Amino acid sequence: MRYLGKRLALLAFTLFLISLITFAVTNVLPGDVATMIMGTQSNPEALAGLRARLGLNDPLWLQYGRWIGGMLTGDWGVSLRFKEPIAPLIAQKITASGLIVAMSLTLALALAIPLGVWSAVNRDRWQDATGSGLALAGISLPDFFWGIVLILIFARGLGWLPSSGYASPAEDFGAALRHATLPAVALGASLMAHLTRMTRSTMLEVMGQDFIRVCRAKGLSEGTVILRHALRNSIAPVLTVAGLQLGYLFGSIIVIETLFNFTGMGWLTYQALLNRDMPLLQACVFVIAAVVMLTNLVVDLLYAALDPRMELA
Amino acid sequence: MKRREFLQGTTALAGGALLAGGAPAPARAQGEPKQGGTLIWGHSETTQNLDMHQTGTASTSRLLENVHDSIVTIDENFQVIPNLAERFEMAEDGLTYTFELRRGVKFHDGSEMTAADVKYSFERCKDPETGAVNFEVFNDVEAIETPDDHTVVIRMSRVNAPFLSRLAENGAGVVMPEGSGDIQGTLPTGTGPFRFVRREFGNEVELEAFPDHWRGRPHLDRIVSREVTEPTVRLSGLQTGEFHLINDIPLDRVDALKSDASVNVLTWFPLSWAFLNFNHDRETFQDARVREALDLMIDKEVLVQGAIWGQGVTTASPSFPASPSHNDDITPRAQDFERAKALLAEAGYGPGELSFVFKVTTNYPWHVEATQILVEWFRQGGVEVSIQQLSWSDWLSQCWVDRDYDVTMMNFFTLWEPDFLYYSLWNSEGAFNYRNISDPEIDEMTSAARRVVDPEERARIYRDIQKRVQDEAHDVVLWFRNGTVGAQPSVGGLDGLVHPNGSNLRFRNVWLES
Repeated sequence: MRYLGKRLALLAFTLFLISLITFAVTNVLPGDVATMIMGTQSNPEALAGLRARLGLNDPLWLQYGRWIGGMLTGDWGVSLRFKEPIAPLIAQKITASGLIVAMSLTLALALAIPLGVWSAVNRDRWQDATGSGLALAGISLPDFFWGIVLILIFARGLGWLPSSGYASPAEDFGAALRHATLPAVALGASLMAHLTRMTRSTMLEVMGQDFIRVCRAKGLSEGTVILRHALRNSIAPVLTVAGLQLGYLFGSIIVIETLFNFTGMGWLTYQALLNRDMPLLQACVFVIAAVVMLTNLVVDLLYAALDPRMELA
Repeated sequence: MKRREFLQGTTALAGGALLAGGAPAPARAQGEPKQGGTLIWGHSETTQNLDMHQTGTASTSRLLENVHDSIVTIDENFQVIPNLAERFEMAEDGLTYTFELRRGVKFHDGSEMTAADVKYSFERCKDPETGAVNFEVFNDVEAIETPDDHTVVIRMSRVNAPFLSRLAENGAGVVMPEGSGDIQGTLPTGTGPFRFVRREFGNEVELEAFPDHWRGRPHLDRIVSREVTEPTVRLSGLQTGEFHLINDIPLDRVDALKSDASVNVLTWFPLSWAFLNFNHDRETFQDARVREALDLMIDKEVLVQGAIWGQGVTTASPSFPASPSHNDDITPRAQDFERAKALLAEAGYGPGELSFVFKVTTNYPWHVEATQILVEWFRQGGVEVSIQQLSWSDWLSQCWVDRDYDVTMMNFFTLWEPDFLYYSLWNSEGAFNYRNISDPEIDEMTSAARRVVDPEERARIYRDIQKRVQDEAHDVVLWFRNGTVGAQPSVGGLDGLVHPNGSNLRFRNVWLES
């Protein structure tokens, strides 16, 4: 409990720092939302008026105070460019992103664990080379590259899946899955590769331990040895890493969602940035940071629960 | 196609089929309008602020045009005609406008439109607190009076000839229910043929038929506008039947699509015009010889083929081709490197001695293509140019607001109202004079035209202004670009879709066959 309290205090402090950094960084960006709103219809007089009306001329400490005060009291304000209330907008977009993040994590685990086991069991044979080669390719190439490859093959080439866009799961679940598949695979490619390598190395380590020899000496079949004993002992660290990578996945959605024009949280953040929509941008960055930190905290706690040897301090 | 290959090979392409001006050509099966159905529109842009007064983007207006009506509008000949006002008249002295409102016009909230709503809407647009993009339309308005429920009298402090025409645009002339300002951004409410239902930001907007529209219920029950910013995705959505209709077909695909029997392609002329800009605050570009020399290096016909795939025509005047103020006597300068080099030498620049940076925004990919072609010619002419590609927000703040650039280019939707076009862009005080142009002759003409009530006389002044801009090469007008819409054969009434202003889409004229 004391540990939890300490972690939560640290989390609050980090979020505060993040809010300061976000605010500072977004405010030194060139250009402003007034320019974007008026586009090629603006003139100096109108721009000055709009800036004043939007409060862009107020001192920075006042703007920060107004923003953070609003965030704390639940009034996240309205997007300057799109005139949409920010809190419901983020709630809607984070659900969309949650879908591809969850799908990519599931896919990564579902593929990485068998592939890692297969590589480990067939160590130094062609199966291992194939598995490790795939994993290496997955790690070495950035996720947007996988995105482009997937679009070329499955959307342009085969025409099986849409290359772009979003569909709401509430309206059409099948369409939602089809739209989310390619982004999820692209997002999960490098995670899958990491997990494959991780499964392989922990498996090898466990397979070399004495109790495995005991199992074999008992006369257990090789399948039972691998699945019931070796895998069970290797999987905990793999799951932990997967959990920690959740945060990393949320961090990568900006590129992937923009590439696939999947209108989730990453896309929204990019739109806010493009339009210099500061209240929206700050809220987006803040929420993504909070999600990353919260998932890390939850994973740490779960890990402690799963593995009694782990001590929290 | 690479630029070099292109520069060598395009003379054969140049001079291909060009579109005639005027209204879109009908070539579609047209039956009796049918009632009902939901039209799925693959829309090219993410809609922004939905408040008609505050939104500055044509793409958002394109949608809102269907939700709102303006007090007056224009016909195919750019004559101002009645709309929400049944009758209107301007007093002889040009200082008083009287509007007789149509009776029984309903707003989407069920209330009836009265003079008070008109007064509210215009005053809201004029009020600097509103942040309306077109607030300057009402600059000379002294008072708005409502002698009775269906009469609006506007008194001007001085003659403002373009006033009535500017009210024909939805941005300034729209009528909203009194007191609805605060909700317009999230629930746009007007008297238009379609009622706003919802927006899922970044994904889609839904409109439904407004049964009490003063023209009668529109044919379609519903419009769903899916926002698909990627042009090729929009196109494949049309071809697979996901969309009934898309706007802005990718430029390089228009010709191929025209020969595809399974879709109808509607092109109209013009959607927008583009020009090359020199920063007149830079000493180099204060010299008209330098500007003319650069103009002379450009083969406009080849540029139209190369940058916009032939989807447009060259022009020396940005005036709407069909408008009376369009100057038919000026033509683009023909490419002439000898003369260009001689002019540069005269201005004191030998080969390799003139150098500048060309800033171009990636917001319009065809501008980037055009820039690459232009720069190739400038280099052939002995000028050193480097290209800087800027995001839209960077272009706006560097070129438009801070005016920090040497050379750039931009396009505008066809601003058909000549005062808006010429005063804003070429008067030294003009709101859009981001090139720092200061030509006393143009200043005088653009100001004079504002106070002239006689249409013939006004048109003559604007024709002179076009000639002056061309003679001085203040900017180089490059092309008029076509607008394009692709539709399933089941979409009827396409001919009435495009508003005479060349930018807005009127879905009330469209129906679904099945």
